[in-house]
Amino acid sequence: MALFGGARDISMFRGLNRELMGDIIVQECAVYKFKLEETNVNIYGEAAEEKYYEAPVLFNVLIDRQDQNYPDSDIGINFEWGISFKFLRDDLVDAEVVPQIGDIVWYENGYYEVDNIIANQQFVGKDPDYPNKDDRGINPLGNYDLQNFGYEVSIIAETIYVPADKVGISQERLITSIKDVRKR
Amino acid sequence: MAVIPIYPGSSSFFPGDTPFGFYDQQIDFQTDADRVVTYCARRLGYPIMDVELQDLNFYTAFEEAVTTYGNELYAFKVRDNYLSIEGSLTSSNLNHELISPNFASVVRYTEQYGEEAGTGGNVTWYSGSLPLNPNQQTYDLKAWASSSASLIDGDSIEVKRVFFESPPAIVKFFDPYAGTGTGMMNMMDTFGWGNYSPAINFMLMPISFDLQKIQAIELNDQVRKSQFSFELINNNLRLFPIPRHGGSMQIQYIKMSERNSPISKTPSGSYVVTNVSNVNFSNPNYNEINSIGRSWVFDYTLAVCKEMLGYIRGKYTQVPIPGAETQLNQADLLSAATSEKEAQIARLREYFDETSRKALMERRADETNATLIELSAVPYPIYIG
Repeated sequence: MALFGGARDISMFRGLNRELMGDIIVQECAVYKFKLEETNVNIYGEAAEEKYYEAPVLFNVLIDRQDQNYPDSDIGINFEWGISFKFLRDDLVDAEVVPQIGDIVWYENGYYEVDNIIANQQFVGKDPDYPNKDDRGINPLGNYDLQNFGYEVSIIAETIYVPADKVGISQERLITSIKDVRKR
Repeated sequence: MAVIPIYPGSSSFFPGDTPFGFYDQQIDFQTDADRVVTYCARRLGYPIMDVELQDLNFYTAFEEAVTTYGNELYAFKVRDNYLSIEGSLTSSNLNHELISPNFASVVRYTEQYGEEAGTGGNVTWYSGSLPLNPNQQTYDLKAWASSSASLIDGDSIEVKRVFFESPPAIVKFFDPYAGTGTGMMNMMDTFGWGNYSPAINFMLMPISFDLQKIQAIELNDQVRKSQFSFELINNNLRLFPIPRHGGSMQIQYIKMSERNSPISKTPSGSYVVTNVSNVNFSNPNYNEINSIGRSWVFDYTLAVCKEMLGYIRGKYTQVPIPGAETQLNQADLLSAATSEKEAQIARLREYFDETSRKALMERRADETNATLIELSAVPYPIYIG
Protein backbone atom coordinates (compact mmCIF):
# COMPACT_ATOMS: atom_id res chain seq x y z
CA MET A 1 0.00 0.00 0.00
CA ALA A 2 1.38 3.32 -0.98
CA LEU A 3 1.60 6.04 1.64
CA PHE A 4 2.64 9.17 -0.20
CA GLY A 5 0.98 10.90 -3.12
CA GLY A 6 -2.59 10.08 -2.16
CA ALA A 7 -5.71 11.73 -3.51
CA ARG A 8 -5.79 14.41 -0.80
CA ASP A 9 -2.22 15.40 -1.49
CA ILE A 10 -2.86 15.48 -5.20
CA SER A 11 -5.94 17.60 -4.71
CA MET A 12 -3.81 20.14 -2.90
CA PHE A 13 -1.21 20.06 -5.66
CA ARG A 14 -3.91 20.63 -8.21
CA GLY A 15 -5.18 23.63 -6.27
CA LEU A 16 -1.69 25.02 -5.81
CA ASN A 17 -0.94 24.63 -9.50
CA ARG A 18 -4.15 26.31 -10.56
CA GLU A 19 -3.49 29.14 -8.11
CA LEU A 20 0.08 29.47 -9.33
CA MET A 21 -0.79 29.30 -13.03
CA GLY A 22 -4.12 31.10 -12.90
CA ASP A 23 -3.67 33.75 -10.22
CA ILE A 24 0.05 34.38 -9.88
CA ILE A 25 1.93 33.69 -13.13
CA VAL A 26 -1.03 33.85 -15.54
CA GLN A 27 0.39 32.87 -18.90
CA GLU A 28 -2.23 31.80 -21.40
CA CYS A 29 -2.49 30.12 -24.75
CA ALA A 30 -5.27 28.59 -26.81
CA VAL A 31 -5.26 25.18 -28.38
CA TYR A 32 -6.80 24.55 -31.77
CA LYS A 33 -7.53 20.86 -31.79
CA PHE A 34 -7.12 19.31 -35.19
CA LYS A 35 -10.35 17.79 -36.55
CA LEU A 36 -9.10 14.78 -38.38
CA GLU A 37 -12.49 13.51 -39.42
CA GLU A 38 -13.33 16.69 -41.35
CA THR A 39 -9.98 17.07 -43.02
CA ASN A 40 -9.53 15.35 -46.35
CA VAL A 41 -6.19 13.71 -46.85
CA ASN A 42 -4.51 12.42 -49.97
CA ILE A 43 -2.87 9.09 -50.49
CA TYR A 44 0.23 10.38 -48.75
CA GLY A 45 -1.68 11.28 -45.61
CA GLU A 46 -1.37 14.97 -46.34
CA ALA A 47 -4.23 17.41 -46.12
CA ALA A 48 -5.45 17.66 -49.64
CA GLU A 49 -7.51 20.78 -49.09
CA GLU A 50 -8.32 22.79 -45.98
CA LYS A 51 -7.52 21.69 -42.47
CA TYR A 52 -10.24 21.93 -39.88
CA TYR A 53 -9.82 22.64 -36.18
CA GLU A 54 -12.02 22.70 -33.10
CA ALA A 55 -12.76 26.05 -31.54
CA PRO A 56 -9.75 27.43 -29.60
CA VAL A 57 -9.69 26.39 -25.94
CA LEU A 58 -7.91 28.80 -23.60
CA PHE A 59 -5.58 27.45 -20.93
CA ASN A 60 -3.29 28.71 -18.23
CA VAL A 61 0.16 27.35 -19.03
CA LEU A 62 3.80 27.73 -18.19
CA ILE A 63 5.75 28.79 -21.24
CA ASP A 64 9.40 28.29 -22.13
CA ARG A 65 10.47 30.42 -25.07
CA GLN A 66 13.61 29.64 -26.99
CA ASP A 67 15.58 32.32 -28.77
CA GLN A 68 14.33 33.33 -32.16
CA ASN A 69 16.39 32.18 -35.12
CA TYR A 70 16.66 33.73 -38.58
CA PRO A 71 18.39 31.12 -40.71
CA ASP A 72 19.37 31.84 -44.29
CA SER A 73 18.08 29.60 -47.07
CA ASP A 74 17.91 29.56 -50.86
CA ILE A 75 14.62 31.37 -50.78
CA GLY A 76 15.62 33.99 -48.29
CA ILE A 77 15.63 34.49 -44.58
CA ASN A 78 13.41 32.32 -42.47
CA PHE A 79 12.01 32.85 -39.03
CA GLU A 80 12.10 30.08 -36.42
CA TRP A 81 10.85 30.20 -32.92
CA GLY A 82 10.38 27.18 -30.72
CA ILE A 83 8.16 27.39 -27.68
CA SER A 84 7.26 24.78 -25.06
CA PHE A 85 3.78 25.03 -23.58
CA LYS A 86 3.50 23.22 -20.27
CA PHE A 87 -0.10 22.34 -19.51
CA LEU A 88 -1.47 21.14 -16.22
CA ARG A 89 -2.84 17.80 -17.30
CA ASP A 90 -5.91 18.16 -15.06
CA ASP A 91 -6.89 21.31 -16.97
CA LEU A 92 -6.71 19.39 -20.21
CA VAL A 93 -8.78 16.58 -18.76
CA ASP A 94 -11.45 18.99 -17.56
CA ALA A 95 -11.54 20.67 -20.97
CA GLU A 96 -11.47 17.33 -22.76
CA VAL A 97 -8.52 18.39 -24.84
CA VAL A 98 -5.76 15.94 -25.72
CA PRO A 99 -2.86 17.80 -27.34
CA GLN A 100 -1.43 15.91 -30.26
CA ILE A 101 1.16 16.49 -32.90
CA GLY A 102 -0.36 18.72 -35.56
CA ASP A 103 -2.53 20.75 -33.23
CA ILE A 104 -2.08 24.49 -33.32
CA VAL A 105 -1.34 26.67 -30.29
CA TRP A 106 -2.29 30.30 -30.43
CA TYR A 107 -0.07 32.49 -28.31
CA GLU A 108 0.35 36.24 -28.42
CA ASN A 109 -1.39 36.37 -31.78
CA GLY A 110 1.06 33.88 -33.26
CA TYR A 111 0.45 30.26 -34.28
CA TYR A 112 2.61 27.39 -33.23
CA GLU A 113 2.27 23.86 -34.48
CA VAL A 114 2.79 21.05 -32.03
CA ASP A 115 5.65 18.86 -33.17
CA ASN A 116 6.33 16.92 -29.98
CA ILE A 117 4.38 15.88 -26.91
CA ILE A 118 6.03 14.99 -23.59
CA ALA A 119 3.88 13.34 -20.94
CA ASN A 120 6.23 11.75 -18.43
CA GLN A 121 6.06 13.91 -15.31
CA GLN A 122 4.68 11.62 -12.64
CA PHE A 123 4.61 12.52 -8.99
CA VAL A 124 6.02 9.72 -6.81
CA GLY A 125 6.58 7.87 -10.06
CA LYS A 126 3.05 6.58 -10.35
CA ASP A 127 0.10 7.13 -12.64
CA PRO A 128 -3.19 6.39 -10.88
CA ASP A 129 -4.61 5.19 -14.19
CA TYR A 130 -2.47 2.05 -13.88
CA PRO A 131 -3.31 0.27 -10.62
CA ASN A 132 -2.02 -3.05 -12.06
CA LYS A 133 -5.06 -5.15 -11.22
CA ASP A 134 -5.84 -8.44 -12.82
CA ASP A 135 -9.12 -9.62 -14.26
CA ARG A 136 -10.38 -10.26 -10.76
CA GLY A 137 -9.62 -6.68 -9.75
CA ILE A 138 -6.75 -7.80 -7.53
CA ASN A 139 -3.23 -6.49 -7.36
CA PRO A 140 -1.18 -9.61 -6.53
CA LEU A 141 1.27 -7.60 -4.42
CA GLY A 142 -1.55 -6.43 -2.20
CA ASN A 143 -1.45 -2.82 -3.35
CA TYR A 144 -5.18 -2.67 -3.70
CA ASP A 145 -5.60 1.10 -3.93
CA LEU A 146 -2.93 2.26 -6.37
CA GLN A 147 -5.64 4.02 -8.34
CA ASN A 148 -5.68 6.59 -5.52
CA PHE A 149 -1.95 7.32 -5.57
CA GLY A 150 0.33 9.15 -7.94
CA TYR A 151 -0.19 12.03 -10.25
CA GLU A 152 0.33 12.69 -13.91
CA VAL A 153 1.27 16.31 -13.55
CA SER A 154 1.73 17.80 -16.95
CA ILE A 155 1.66 17.53 -20.69
CA ILE A 156 4.31 19.55 -22.45
CA ALA A 157 3.69 20.55 -26.06
CA GLU A 158 6.82 21.50 -27.96
CA THR A 159 5.93 23.71 -30.88
CA ILE A 160 7.40 25.58 -33.78
CA TYR A 161 6.20 28.82 -35.17
CA VAL A 162 4.02 28.69 -38.27
CA PRO A 163 2.93 31.78 -40.16
CA ALA A 164 -0.71 32.65 -39.87
CA ASP A 165 -1.31 32.43 -43.61
CA LYS A 166 -0.01 28.90 -43.64
CA VAL A 167 -2.46 27.58 -41.10
CA GLY A 168 -5.26 29.71 -42.48
CA ILE A 169 -6.99 30.09 -39.13
CA SER A 170 -9.20 33.05 -38.45
CA GLN A 171 -9.54 33.91 -34.82
CA GLU A 172 -12.76 32.79 -33.23
CA ARG A 173 -14.39 33.22 -29.90
CA LEU A 174 -12.23 31.64 -27.21
CA ILE A 175 -13.73 28.93 -25.10
CA THR A 176 -12.60 27.09 -22.00
CA SER A 177 -13.82 23.63 -22.80
CA ILE A 178 -14.58 21.65 -25.88
CA LYS A 179 -17.13 19.82 -23.84
CA ASP A 180 -19.16 23.03 -23.50
CA VAL A 181 -19.11 23.56 -27.26
CA ARG A 182 -20.32 20.07 -27.90
CA LYS A 183 -23.17 20.54 -25.49
CA ARG A 184 -24.36 23.48 -27.49
CA MET B 1 -10.36 13.01 -9.68
CA ALA B 2 -10.82 13.59 -5.98
CA VAL B 3 -11.28 17.22 -5.07
CA ILE B 4 -10.67 18.16 -1.46
CA PRO B 5 -12.16 21.60 -0.87
CA ILE B 6 -10.21 24.32 0.84
CA TYR B 7 -11.47 27.42 2.61
CA PRO B 8 -13.97 29.03 0.22
CA GLY B 9 -14.16 32.43 1.90
CA SER B 10 -16.91 31.83 4.43
CA SER B 11 -17.83 29.35 7.11
CA SER B 12 -20.73 28.40 9.28
CA PHE B 13 -20.07 26.88 12.67
CA PHE B 14 -22.21 24.09 14.07
CA PRO B 15 -21.79 22.37 17.41
CA GLY B 16 -19.70 19.28 16.81
CA ASP B 17 -17.31 20.96 14.42
CA THR B 18 -14.49 20.95 16.97
CA PRO B 19 -12.55 17.82 17.94
CA PHE B 20 -13.43 17.85 21.64
CA GLY B 21 -16.55 20.00 21.73
CA PHE B 22 -15.50 21.68 24.98
CA TYR B 23 -17.11 24.99 24.08
CA ASP B 24 -19.46 24.13 21.24
CA GLN B 25 -22.59 24.90 23.23
CA GLN B 26 -21.39 28.27 24.45
CA ILE B 27 -23.07 31.07 22.56
CA ASP B 28 -20.08 33.40 22.40
CA PHE B 29 -17.86 30.61 21.15
CA GLN B 30 -20.34 29.84 18.39
CA THR B 31 -20.49 33.48 17.44
CA ASP B 32 -16.75 34.05 17.51
CA ALA B 33 -15.86 30.83 15.70
CA ASP B 34 -16.70 32.10 12.24
CA ARG B 35 -15.25 35.52 12.99
CA VAL B 36 -12.01 33.88 14.00
CA VAL B 37 -12.02 31.92 10.74
CA THR B 38 -12.38 35.14 8.78
CA TYR B 39 -9.69 36.85 10.85
CA CYS B 40 -7.18 34.04 10.48
CA ALA B 41 -7.87 33.45 6.79
CA ARG B 42 -7.34 37.10 6.01
CA ARG B 43 -4.20 37.23 8.11
CA LEU B 44 -2.95 34.25 6.10
CA GLY B 45 -3.50 36.00 2.78
CA TYR B 46 -7.05 35.24 1.78
CA PRO B 47 -8.62 36.40 -0.54
CA ILE B 48 -5.43 37.35 -2.40
CA MET B 49 -4.03 33.89 -1.85
CA ASP B 50 -5.61 30.52 -1.28
CA VAL B 51 -5.36 29.11 2.21
CA GLU B 52 -5.16 25.34 2.14
CA LEU B 53 -7.22 24.88 5.28
CA GLN B 54 -10.84 24.04 5.87
CA ASP B 55 -13.18 25.62 8.38
CA LEU B 56 -12.72 22.55 10.59
CA ASN B 57 -9.01 23.31 10.81
CA PHE B 58 -9.74 26.85 11.94
CA TYR B 59 -12.26 25.65 14.51
CA THR B 60 -9.73 23.13 15.81
CA ALA B 61 -7.16 25.87 16.24
CA PHE B 62 -9.74 28.07 17.96
CA GLU B 63 -10.65 25.35 20.42
CA GLU B 64 -6.99 24.63 21.09
CA ALA B 65 -6.33 28.30 21.76
CA VAL B 66 -9.18 28.57 24.27
CA THR B 67 -8.06 25.38 25.98
CA THR B 68 -4.46 26.56 26.10
CA TYR B 69 -5.61 29.84 27.61
CA GLY B 70 -7.56 27.95 30.27
CA ASN B 71 -4.65 25.62 30.93
CA GLU B 72 -2.26 28.49 31.43
CA LEU B 73 -4.73 30.36 33.58
CA TYR B 74 -5.55 27.50 35.89
CA ALA B 75 -2.01 26.19 35.98
CA PHE B 76 -1.06 29.61 37.25
CA LYS B 77 -3.81 29.41 39.87
CA VAL B 78 -2.53 26.01 40.94
CA ARG B 79 1.05 27.29 41.19
CA ASP B 80 -0.05 30.27 43.20
CA ASN B 81 -2.24 28.33 45.62
CA TYR B 82 -1.04 24.76 45.71
CA LEU B 83 0.02 24.92 49.37
CA SER B 84 -3.53 25.81 50.25
CA ILE B 85 -5.17 23.42 47.81
CA GLU B 86 -3.22 20.23 48.52
CA GLY B 87 -5.27 17.92 50.66
CA SER B 88 -8.57 19.61 49.88
CA LEU B 89 -11.46 17.66 48.42
CA THR B 90 -11.43 17.04 44.68
CA SER B 91 -15.19 17.24 44.51
CA SER B 92 -15.21 21.02 44.63
CA ASN B 93 -14.69 22.71 41.28
CA LEU B 94 -12.44 25.68 41.81
CA ASN B 95 -13.04 27.59 38.59
CA HIS B 96 -15.26 30.13 40.28
CA GLU B 97 -14.00 29.84 43.84
CA LEU B 98 -12.02 32.53 45.58
CA ILE B 99 -9.12 30.65 47.10
CA SER B 100 -8.04 31.65 50.59
CA PRO B 101 -4.59 30.71 51.86
CA ASN B 102 -4.53 28.26 54.75
CA PHE B 103 -2.01 26.49 56.95
CA ALA B 104 -3.08 22.94 56.19
CA SER B 105 -0.08 21.95 54.12
CA VAL B 106 2.37 23.89 56.26
CA VAL B 107 1.15 22.11 59.36
CA ARG B 108 1.28 18.77 57.58
CA TYR B 109 4.81 19.46 56.39
CA THR B 110 5.96 20.32 59.93
CA GLU B 111 4.25 17.50 61.80
CA GLN B 112 7.45 15.52 61.53
CA TYR B 113 9.20 17.84 63.96
CA GLY B 114 6.56 17.28 66.60
CA GLU B 115 6.70 13.60 65.78
CA GLU B 116 10.41 13.38 66.67
CA ALA B 117 9.97 15.54 69.73
CA GLY B 118 7.18 13.30 70.98
CA THR B 119 4.69 16.13 70.96
CA GLY B 120 2.61 15.40 67.89
CA GLY B 121 2.76 13.97 64.43
CA ASN B 122 1.13 10.98 62.87
CA VAL B 123 3.36 8.15 64.06
CA THR B 124 1.88 6.13 66.88
CA TRP B 125 3.90 5.56 70.05
CA TYR B 126 3.22 2.01 71.19
CA SER B 127 3.68 0.78 74.76
CA GLY B 128 5.30 -2.54 75.49
CA SER B 129 6.05 -4.59 78.56
CA LEU B 130 9.56 -6.05 78.72
CA PRO B 131 9.93 -8.99 81.11
CA LEU B 132 12.90 -8.58 83.44
CA ASN B 133 14.81 -11.58 84.65
CA PRO B 134 16.72 -11.68 87.94
CA ASN B 135 20.39 -10.74 87.48
CA GLN B 136 20.06 -10.20 83.70
CA GLN B 137 21.47 -6.86 82.72
CA THR B 138 21.17 -6.87 78.89
CA TYR B 139 18.01 -7.33 76.90
CA ASP B 140 17.72 -7.63 73.10
CA LEU B 141 14.81 -5.41 72.17
CA LYS B 142 14.92 -6.53 68.53
CA ALA B 143 14.21 -10.05 69.64
CA TRP B 144 11.52 -8.77 71.96
CA ALA B 145 9.94 -6.70 69.18
CA SER B 146 9.89 -9.54 66.71
CA SER B 147 7.86 -11.61 69.11
CA SER B 148 5.81 -8.99 70.88
CA ALA B 149 5.42 -5.88 68.73
CA SER B 150 3.26 -7.26 65.89
CA LEU B 151 5.77 -6.25 63.23
CA ILE B 152 5.47 -7.01 59.55
CA ASP B 153 8.38 -8.62 57.75
CA GLY B 154 11.36 -6.34 57.51
CA ASP B 155 10.03 -3.89 60.04
CA SER B 156 11.77 -2.85 63.23
CA ILE B 157 11.17 -0.59 66.19
CA GLU B 158 12.76 2.50 67.58
CA VAL B 159 12.53 2.85 71.32
CA LYS B 160 11.41 6.31 72.29
CA ARG B 161 11.20 5.95 76.08
CA VAL B 162 12.36 3.48 78.74
CA PHE B 163 10.65 3.51 82.11
CA PHE B 164 13.60 2.42 84.23
CA GLU B 165 14.01 5.13 86.85
CA SER B 166 14.37 5.43 90.54
CA PRO B 167 11.10 5.87 92.42
CA PRO B 168 10.24 9.57 92.57
CA ALA B 169 10.65 11.31 95.86
CA ILE B 170 6.92 11.85 96.13
CA VAL B 171 6.50 8.11 96.66
CA LYS B 172 8.48 8.43 99.87
CA PHE B 173 7.09 11.78 100.82
CA PHE B 174 4.43 10.18 102.97
CA ASP B 175 6.52 7.17 103.94
CA PRO B 176 6.86 7.23 107.72
CA TYR B 177 9.92 5.04 107.42
CA ALA B 178 11.74 7.17 104.90
CA GLY B 179 14.01 8.37 107.58
CA THR B 180 14.59 11.74 106.16
CA GLY B 181 15.17 13.25 109.54
CA THR B 182 12.21 15.55 109.54
CA GLY B 183 10.88 14.09 112.78
CA MET B 184 7.33 14.15 111.42
CA MET B 185 6.15 11.09 113.32
CA ASN B 186 7.57 12.32 116.57
CA MET B 187 5.82 15.57 116.07
CA MET B 188 2.50 13.87 115.30
CA ASP B 189 2.83 11.65 118.35
CA THR B 190 3.48 14.69 120.43
CA PHE B 191 0.19 16.20 119.33
CA GLY B 192 -1.66 12.94 120.02
CA TRP B 193 -2.26 11.97 116.40
CA GLY B 194 0.12 9.02 116.35
CA ASN B 195 -2.60 6.43 115.92
CA TYR B 196 -3.86 7.81 112.63
CA SER B 197 -2.77 6.54 109.25
CA PRO B 198 0.75 7.74 108.56
CA ALA B 199 -0.29 9.26 105.18
CA ILE B 200 -2.70 11.63 106.84
CA ASN B 201 -1.28 14.77 108.11
CA PHE B 202 -3.50 17.25 109.83
CA MET B 203 -0.84 19.83 110.26
CA LEU B 204 -0.86 22.65 107.76
CA MET B 205 2.68 23.04 106.52
CA PRO B 206 3.98 25.69 104.12
CA ILE B 207 4.65 24.52 100.56
CA SER B 208 8.31 25.44 100.94
CA PHE B 209 8.52 22.79 103.59
CA ASP B 210 7.20 20.10 101.23
CA LEU B 211 9.61 21.11 98.48
CA GLN B 212 12.59 21.08 100.74
CA LYS B 213 11.58 17.70 102.02
CA ILE B 214 11.32 16.30 98.48
CA GLN B 215 14.71 17.70 97.63
CA ALA B 216 16.12 16.13 100.75
CA ILE B 217 14.73 12.74 99.78
CA GLU B 218 16.18 13.01 96.26
CA LEU B 219 19.59 14.08 97.55
CA ASN B 220 19.55 11.24 100.04
CA ASP B 221 18.82 8.72 97.26
CA GLN B 222 21.51 10.13 95.03
CA VAL B 223 24.15 9.89 97.72
CA ARG B 224 23.26 6.63 99.35
CA LYS B 225 21.64 4.49 96.66
CA SER B 226 22.47 3.00 93.29
CA GLN B 227 21.40 5.22 90.40
CA PHE B 228 18.84 3.92 87.91
CA SER B 229 20.17 4.23 84.41
CA PHE B 230 20.40 2.39 81.09
CA GLU B 231 22.23 2.26 77.82
CA LEU B 232 20.40 1.67 74.58
CA ILE B 233 22.66 0.88 71.65
CA ASN B 234 21.39 -0.85 68.54
CA ASN B 235 18.27 -1.84 70.44
CA ASN B 236 20.33 -3.69 73.06
CA LEU B 237 19.14 -2.43 76.42
CA ARG B 238 21.61 -2.51 79.31
CA LEU B 239 20.19 -1.72 82.74
CA PHE B 240 21.86 -0.18 85.76
CA PRO B 241 21.60 -1.41 88.46
CA ILE B 242 21.21 -5.01 87.47
CA PRO B 243 17.69 -6.13 88.37
CA ARG B 244 17.81 -8.52 91.29
CA HIS B 245 14.21 -9.55 91.03
CA GLY B 246 11.93 -10.54 88.19
CA GLY B 247 9.19 -8.31 86.93
CA SER B 248 8.47 -6.22 83.90
CA MET B 249 9.46 -2.88 82.59
CA GLN B 250 7.47 -0.55 80.33
CA ILE B 251 8.90 0.89 77.16
CA GLN B 252 7.45 3.10 74.43
CA TYR B 253 8.42 2.64 70.83
CA ILE B 254 7.45 3.43 67.26
CA LYS B 255 7.40 1.14 64.27
CA MET B 256 9.99 2.18 61.69
CA SER B 257 7.66 1.26 58.85
CA GLU B 258 5.18 3.82 60.08
CA ARG B 259 7.75 6.56 60.39
CA ASN B 260 9.27 5.72 57.02
CA SER B 261 5.91 5.76 55.30
CA PRO B 262 5.58 8.88 53.12
CA ILE B 263 1.82 8.47 52.93
CA SER B 264 -0.04 11.06 54.87
CA LYS B 265 -2.53 9.61 57.33
CA THR B 266 -5.01 12.42 56.93
CA PRO B 267 -6.27 13.46 54.51
CA SER B 268 -5.69 10.71 52.03
CA GLY B 269 -7.46 8.75 49.34
CA SER B 270 -8.72 9.34 45.84
CA TYR B 271 -11.03 12.15 46.85
CA VAL B 272 -8.40 14.62 47.97
CA VAL B 273 -5.97 16.73 45.97
CA THR B 274 -2.64 14.95 46.03
CA ASN B 275 -0.91 16.51 43.05
CA VAL B 276 -1.42 19.21 40.45
CA SER B 277 -3.16 16.82 38.10
CA ASN B 278 -6.22 16.32 40.26
CA VAL B 279 -6.78 19.88 41.34
CA ASN B 280 -10.35 20.36 40.26
CA PHE B 281 -10.09 23.03 37.61
CA SER B 282 -12.04 22.48 34.40
CA ASN B 283 -11.94 24.13 31.00
CA PRO B 284 -12.93 27.77 31.10
CA ASN B 285 -16.31 29.06 30.05
CA TYR B 286 -15.64 31.00 26.87
CA ASN B 287 -18.58 33.28 27.58
CA GLU B 288 -16.77 34.53 30.67
CA ILE B 289 -13.42 35.25 29.06
CA ASN B 290 -12.97 38.99 28.80
CA SER B 291 -11.78 40.93 25.78
CA ILE B 292 -8.16 40.79 26.94
CA GLY B 293 -8.30 37.03 27.07
CA ARG B 294 -10.18 36.72 23.79
CA SER B 295 -7.65 38.88 22.02
CA TRP B 296 -4.96 36.48 23.18
CA VAL B 297 -7.07 33.54 22.02
CA PHE B 298 -7.48 35.05 18.54
CA ASP B 299 -3.75 35.61 18.13
CA TYR B 300 -2.91 32.16 19.40
CA THR B 301 -5.47 30.67 17.02
CA LEU B 302 -3.70 32.42 14.17
CA ALA B 303 -0.37 30.97 15.27
CA VAL B 304 -1.85 27.48 15.39
CA CYS B 305 -3.36 27.97 11.93
CA LYS B 306 0.03 29.02 10.61
CA GLU B 307 1.51 25.91 12.09
CA MET B 308 -1.12 23.70 10.49
CA LEU B 309 -0.73 25.41 7.14
CA GLY B 310 3.03 25.06 7.43
CA TYR B 311 2.77 21.35 7.98
CA ILE B 312 0.34 21.00 5.09
CA ARG B 313 2.52 22.93 2.71
CA GLY B 314 5.60 21.20 4.02
CA LYS B 315 4.56 17.59 3.71
CA TYR B 316 6.44 17.58 0.40
CA THR B 317 9.43 19.86 0.15
CA GLN B 318 9.05 19.96 -3.62
CA VAL B 319 5.64 20.45 -5.15
CA PRO B 320 5.33 19.44 -8.79
CA ILE B 321 4.25 22.02 -11.33
CA PRO B 322 4.19 21.42 -15.07
CA GLY B 323 7.72 20.73 -16.20
CA ALA B 324 9.31 21.69 -12.91
CA GLU B 325 9.02 21.70 -9.15
CA THR B 326 8.56 24.51 -6.68
CA GLN B 327 8.84 25.12 -2.98
CA LEU B 328 6.15 26.62 -0.79
CA ASN B 329 6.58 28.81 2.29
CA GLN B 330 6.30 26.04 4.83
CA ALA B 331 9.60 26.96 6.49
CA ASP B 332 8.53 30.55 7.03
CA LEU B 333 5.14 29.48 8.31
CA LEU B 334 6.52 26.98 10.77
CA SER B 335 9.20 29.34 11.99
CA ALA B 336 6.72 32.15 12.47
CA ALA B 337 4.18 29.87 14.12
CA THR B 338 6.72 28.46 16.56
CA SER B 339 8.05 31.83 17.60
CA GLU B 340 4.59 33.36 17.83
CA LYS B 341 3.26 30.55 19.99
CA GLU B 342 6.24 30.78 22.31
CA ALA B 343 5.87 34.55 22.53
CA GLN B 344 2.16 34.28 23.21
CA ILE B 345 2.66 31.76 25.98
CA ALA B 346 5.47 33.80 27.49
CA ARG B 347 3.35 36.94 27.35
CA LEU B 348 0.43 35.21 29.03
CA ARG B 349 2.57 33.70 31.78
CA GLU B 350 4.20 37.03 32.47
CA TYR B 351 0.80 38.64 32.66
CA PHE B 352 -0.46 36.01 35.08
CA ASP B 353 2.69 36.08 37.18
CA GLU B 354 2.28 39.80 37.62
CA THR B 355 -1.04 39.07 39.29
CA SER B 356 0.29 36.40 41.63
CA ARG B 357 -0.30 36.92 45.32
CA LYS B 358 3.41 37.47 45.92
CA ALA B 359 3.73 39.98 43.08
CA LEU B 360 0.63 41.86 44.14
CA MET B 361 1.78 42.09 47.75
CA GLU B 362 5.19 43.29 46.67
CA ARG B 363 3.63 45.89 44.43
CA ARG B 364 1.35 46.97 47.23
CA ALA B 365 4.34 47.35 49.54
CA ASP B 366 6.22 49.32 46.90
CA GLU B 367 3.26 51.61 46.41
CA THR B 368 2.97 52.13 50.14
CA ASN B 369 6.66 52.96 50.46
CA ALA B 370 6.47 55.29 47.50
CA THR B 371 3.45 57.00 48.98
CA LEU B 372 5.20 57.46 52.30
CA ILE B 373 8.24 58.90 50.58
CA GLU B 374 6.07 61.28 48.64
CA LEU B 375 4.11 62.33 51.71
CA SER B 376 7.32 62.93 53.60
CA ALA B 377 8.07 65.75 51.19
CA VAL B 378 4.96 67.62 52.35
CA PRO B 379 5.96 70.34 54.85
CA TYR B 380 4.87 69.52 58.37
CA PRO B 381 2.70 72.24 59.87
CA ILE B 382 3.89 73.79 63.08
CA TYR B 383 1.23 74.13 65.68
CA ILE B 384 1.69 76.78 68.33
CA GLY B 385 -0.68 76.09 71.14
